[in-house]
Amino acid sequence: MAEAHLAPAGETAPRMDNSRGVSRAGRNDAIFHGLCFSAAMVLLATLAGLLISLLIGGWPALSHFGLGFFTSSVWDPVADEYGAAGPIVGTLITAFMAMVMAVPLAIGIAVFLVEFCPRAIAHWVAVAVELLAGIPSIVYGMWGLFVLAPWFAENVQMPLLMTLDPESFWGKLFYGIPNGANIFTASLILALMVLPYIASVFRELLLSVPTHVREAAYGMGCTPFEVVSSIMIPYVRRGAIGAVMLGLGRALGETMAVTFIIGNSHEFPTSLFASGSTIASTIANEFAEATGMHSAALVALGLVLFVITFVVLAAARLLIGREKH
Amino acid sequence: MSFDETQADTPTVMVAPPQSERVVDVRGLDFFYGKNQALFNVDLPVARNQITALIGPSGCGKSTLLRTLNKIYDLYPGQRATGQILFNGENMLNPRDEVDASQMANAGGVPIKGDVARLRARIGMVFQRPTPFPMSIYDNIAFGVRLHQKASKAEMDEIVERSLTRAALWNEVKDKLHTSGLGLSGGQQQRLCVARGIAVEPEVLLLDEPASALDPMSTAKLEATLMELKDSFTIVIVTHNLQQAARISDYTGFMLLGKMVEFRPSSEAFIKPETEAMRDYVTGRYG
Repeated sequence: MAEAHLAPAGETAPRMDNSRGVSRAGRNDAIFHGLCFSAAMVLLATLAGLLISLLIGGWPALSHFGLGFFTSSVWDPVADEYGAAGPIVGTLITAFMAMVMAVPLAIGIAVFLVEFCPRAIAHWVAVAVELLAGIPSIVYGMWGLFVLAPWFAENVQMPLLMTLDPESFWGKLFYGIPNGANIFTASLILALMVLPYIASVFRELLLSVPTHVREAAYGMGCTPFEVVSSIMIPYVRRGAIGAVMLGLGRALGETMAVTFIIGNSHEFPTSLFASGSTIASTIANEFAEATGMHSAALVALGLVLFVITFVVLAAARLLIGREKH
Repeated sequence: MSFDETQADTPTVMVAPPQSERVVDVRGLDFFYGKNQALFNVDLPVARNQITALIGPSGCGKSTLLRTLNKIYDLYPGQRATGQILFNGENMLNPRDEVDASQMANAGGVPIKGDVARLRARIGMVFQRPTPFPMSIYDNIAFGVRLHQKASKAEMDEIVERSLTRAALWNEVKDKLHTSGLGLSGGQQQRLCVARGIAVEPEVLLLDEPASALDPMSTAKLEATLMELKDSFTIVIVTHNLQQAARISDYTGFMLLGKMVEFRPSSEAFIKPETEAMRDYVTGRYG
């Protein structure tokens, strides 16, 4: 057995020095190189193809409405007029509000798990947080529509409507049909969805702070708050920005949950509790019946979302890159 | 405790500084990582304005002993210490323990009872690996100072300059105080950590193998720094480098298997170790 195994090895070993061996290695290298190269190219080609087809598909709407596509909030399939200001602003506002709610909470959760929670429990809580991150968005949306929205309408919107002067600033800010389906509840659902995701990344980041740095901070006489706020969070700042931006990316593009609860109105949102729409929810709601200019407008919306997410990710890269210096 | 146990637990050789000179006085310290006992009835008298070196093979408990002195082990549930660690005559482990009046009279500063953060400001620590904080060189030093006192910009500038000068780093960094501390070389980072440690004017400075990650040049600079600092601070240093211990320390404690085997003035300890264990270690038989 051993001899049988050794014999071919003995034969091939000298061959390594001759030109045939070298060329074989060279050929394998070239194949390997080519395979990796084409894998990367497939990705780039897909991206380019996607961008080009969005451009072509959306061009009729973009050229017909011009800048008005971005500034007008009249979205009227009957009159075949499309202005996307409502969905665009709705997308930005809901994603932004979701992050404002989710990020501080996520930091709190992560810090608690890493610094204060007993190790044995922290592990299981962390597993639970990761499970939450994996719940399909339609479940969040359904819960939002059937549970959160009615509760919110009855316990938040109604009392506010009854007590606030409709002409006052607050009255205008919280104005809306009390059905619980509005921009605010959509943001709330979005926040819930990105929360476990950001929290678990933050937790990993905080765990990555070297023990000796943490001990050094405590060794200087820092309180736990000072250690976390002055040492650990700055230490993971770059990763944290990345996590927030990825969460933002998810919030921007989230479709199902938002479609359920945002109220699907193309009006430009004028209050916190107004029904609205996002780019993703508009596309999801209308693509089935869309033809002609309507369909071109939806594709153009897709292009806008593509660009927004791209800009967010690029901004994250820039921010992270700048931290290096 | 039976006679045999007493024999086994007490240091074989102990030539300690007089009690009146001791800033920190560890008595009968046992330390546990969960169920594992790492220190057994350890005594460690630390004399004021002297350098005390702790030596011994890996795992002998010298770092553990050092980590009890500013209670950094407090961060980890399951680690606990019993016995006495007197700091200026006050027991840090169980503050209710009464100490005789002559010891209390020695206590200079603020009471330390229960206030671990306060204690750590007075007993600073420099770790094995450089631990600059993710901020500028200036802020690395100002950060610790701000924790414990209010200082104007001018005062802070002065503290930063003085600390860096004492740590023999000022000349190398004075033109880039506002660049990140992470950009310095390893040796510079370690001296930055020393500067940071002394900026808050602690009474005691603990160093856990501070030169183990440094090249010989940086090590020499660090040692020179420590010799200078001795006039103002009390220093306890854990080191694997016997020459280093012999060069800079006034007292040396040799530990083995969680016990203090020999504690003597360094001038005697290295020339004529009394225990067989220390003789073997010093002559290189433990490697």
